[in-house]
Formats: sequence, structure tokens, C-alpha cells
Amino acid sequence: MGNNEKVAVAEEEKKSVNEVVEVAIETSYVDNDDWATYRDDEVMQQHNAIQAEEAHKLPFVGDKEPLSALAAEYQSGSPIIQEKIKLLGQSFSAIRRTRGDGNCFFRCFMFAYLEHILESQDKAEVDRIKANVEQCKKTLQNLGYAEFTFEDFFALFLEQLESVMQGNETSISHDELLTRSRDQSVSDYVVMFFRFVTSGEVRRRAEFFEPFILGLSNMTVEKFCKASVEPMGEESDHVHITALSDALGVAIRVMYLDRSSCDTGSVSVNHHDFVPSISDSPNGTTNAVAAKPVMTLLYRPGHYDILYSK
Amino acid sequence: MQASRARLFKEYKEVQREKAIDSDIQLVCDDSNIFKWTALIKGPSETPFEGGVFQLAFSVPEQYPLQPPQVRFLTKIFHPNVHFKTGEICLDILKNAWSPAWTLQSVCRAIIALMAHPEADSPLNCDSGNLLRSGDLRGYQSMARMYTRLAAMPKKG
Repeated sequence: MGNNEKVAVAEEEKKSVNEVVEVAIETSYVDNDDWATYRDDEVMQQHNAIQAEEAHKLPFVGDKEPLSALAAEYQSGSPIIQEKIKLLGQSFSAIRRTRGDGNCFFRCFMFAYLEHILESQDKAEVDRIKANVEQCKKTLQNLGYAEFTFEDFFALFLEQLESVMQGNETSISHDELLTRSRDQSVSDYVVMFFRFVTSGEVRRRAEFFEPFILGLSNMTVEKFCKASVEPMGEESDHVHITALSDALGVAIRVMYLDRSSCDTGSVSVNHHDFVPSISDSPNGTTNAVAAKPVMTLLYRPGHYDILYSK
Repeated sequence: MQASRARLFKEYKEVQREKAIDSDIQLVCDDSNIFKWTALIKGPSETPFEGGVFQLAFSVPEQYPLQPPQVRFLTKIFHPNVHFKTGEICLDILKNAWSPAWTLQSVCRAIIALMAHPEADSPLNCDSGNLLRSGDLRGYQSMARMYTRLAAMPKKG
């Protein structure tokens, strides 16, 4: 992962150098106002090409792999990490990777949550989250978002939620869920739904989130949402996770795999549970909440994947 | 493709409704192609663009609204963040800060805001950017006003 990223960065740097050269040549000659010479277009195309190249390496959501696949990655790596993976092996049997495109947290959440519903067929949970989604819609309306800008994304998520419940004409299998999660026209729309929900929650409780956001980025809440939550490909931090978990009332466990260790020399894997707060909701009603984590994510600095318990 | 078409149709209806409220922006869809739009925007007051009417061309990609529209000035404009020849606009929401929460209409508003608040540190038009960065506000304003008169105002007589 780290290495791939470095290669990607190096390659991008190489490309941008080429670009500068090209631009320099271009500006001395360019003299027609055709769309064809429109540089923005080229930048976009190049961006898409890089994305397509990445797509070959790993789909948005990967296959389930045994935890040994994770160990194999660090075979000649840090002994602390190796030790921690061994510890993870006591509780977890498998990992499912997601593409490192800046949307990995939301993509993990999407797949892990829908898979949980597919397997549990928990009708009460579906009703509960639907009520919360309705609340999120009201939040965005109250914040002044035009409904037509977000309604398609909401509709598509609710459609997925319906279809993982079995016994309907539109019901889907686990394989189909995986296929859809890899299909950009579904997957990106659901990710965008989560981004809207997250942004709405952060802005609704701006006072609560403000100190955390200032600590992260020195931006105003408004600016943070516009720059770091709503645009696709912007990475998630604990602010995003807290907000999404609160807004939808879904608890998330995150296991941290990094090189930190205790002074005593003993190694343990830190984890954090994001348990939705039930205290303040917009109209005084208490949002229903599932307090037990329904998913466990593996965090390695800069990236999230899904973990499966034994 | 279908999703972008449906979204653009909603924006079309919204534009018809907002016409009366926002008289600074006239957004029109191409008769035969919903992916091509043009806009006429009024230069903001108390700027060198005041009194001018500027034409923008929108080209909307099939992945809209997950991807931003491409927008450029068709009317010549002297502004640090607009390419003097191609009309290309340097604005973060048209690139990496884009999100589907923006609309063609709100993009127009953002461009009007950019006209009033140029970012001299990320210039596409270096001559314009250099005037501002060297503190020659008078020089910048007179150049910008001249081009507004030449290109963005109806010819007299």
C-alpha cells in the first residue's frame, strides 16, 4: 500500500513535469479557442486515466481474504506490526480490502453495513436506519440544500437497503451486492450519500465539531464541509466517522494497526468504538441507536479496510 | 448517462423558477443538447466588470453531477484567474473541490464571486496577477475596465 502510493505519487510527479513542459510549449503557440485545446479537459482526462489504471489493481471493494494475506504484506516489515497482526488473528479471520481512492472509509461502511443487513435480515434495524435517513434529509433541507441536489443519492442508498432484504422481487444475493459495490454508478452514488449525511451532521452540530475541525485543519466548519467532506476522494478522519456514526445511529469499531507500542514493551492492538451519541437530535426526539458495533474496520495510517470476526 | 440527464432536467426546472429572483444570471440550455448550456452573468458592482455582461459556456460530462461541468468565459475578460485566450477558469470547485451539492446556477454565483475577489496567487493570466501582486490596483482596474468596455458591453450607436 505505502509503496504503491509512493510509486503513484512519483508517477504523478513525472507526469506533472511533462505537463509543465507541454504547457510552456503550448502557451507560446496556442491561438485558437477550440474546446480541443481546452486544458481543463486534458487535466480531467489524465485524472480519469490515472483512476482507470488504479482500478485494474483493486476494485472499489475487494474479495474476502484470509488474515494471512495481511501478514504476508509485512513479512519483512516492522516486528511490532507483525506482532499486532498475530494478535488480530486471535479475534479476526478475514480482511476485505477497499481501493485507496480517498473514499475507502465510506466504501467500507457501505459494504460492511449492507452485508450486515443482508446476513442478519434485521427488519427492525432497517426501519430504524430509514427513520434516521429521513432525519438526515430534513437536516439538509434546514441547512438550505436544494433537495434535487441530494435526493438521487438518498434514493439510491434506500434502494440498496431494500434490495438486501430478502423476499422481494428486487432482492439481491451476496454476489450481486459485491457486483454493485464495484459498479461505479452505484458505489459512488452511495459514497456520495454518506458524504451528504456526514456534512449535514457536522454542520447541524457545528458547535460540537468546531474544536475538532480547528485541530485538524484550521478551517471553519462550513469550509471544512465544502472542502473535506462533500467532494469525492477527500479522505475521512475521526470527524467524518463520528458524524456518520451519530447521524445514522450505527456504531463502528476501528482497530488501529500502526507501529506504536507501550513503554513496557508489550504489544497490544488499540481500538476505538465510535458509539453514536443519543443526546441531541434536531427536534428533541431521540434517534434510535444500535450501540453494539455492527462492523469492524482496520485502520492503517491513511487507509481503511473491513475486518471479519472469527 | 440517465442519472445526469435526470439531474440536469431538475436543474432546468429550478432555473426557470429562479429566473425572477436572480436577475444577475441568465442560464440557458441548448435547444437540442441538455449537456450544453450558456450563461450570461452581470459583472458585479464596484468592480472593474460592473456594467458588463459576460457569456459563459458550460459543457456537462456524462458523469455529472459526480464530476464538475467544464466552464469557460466566451467573453474576453482581464482577470488573474481566467485564461486570457481560452477563457478557462481557475476555480477550486470546478476541479478537486467539486461536489454534487453545487449546481450550474451556484457555479455561476461562484464565478461572479471570483470576479469580485480575484486570487492573484494562482493566476492563469500572469499579467493581471502581477499587477495585483505588485500592488498596482489602479493599473489592474483600468486594464480590466478597458476590456469590460471593449468586450462585455453592447456597442453604442
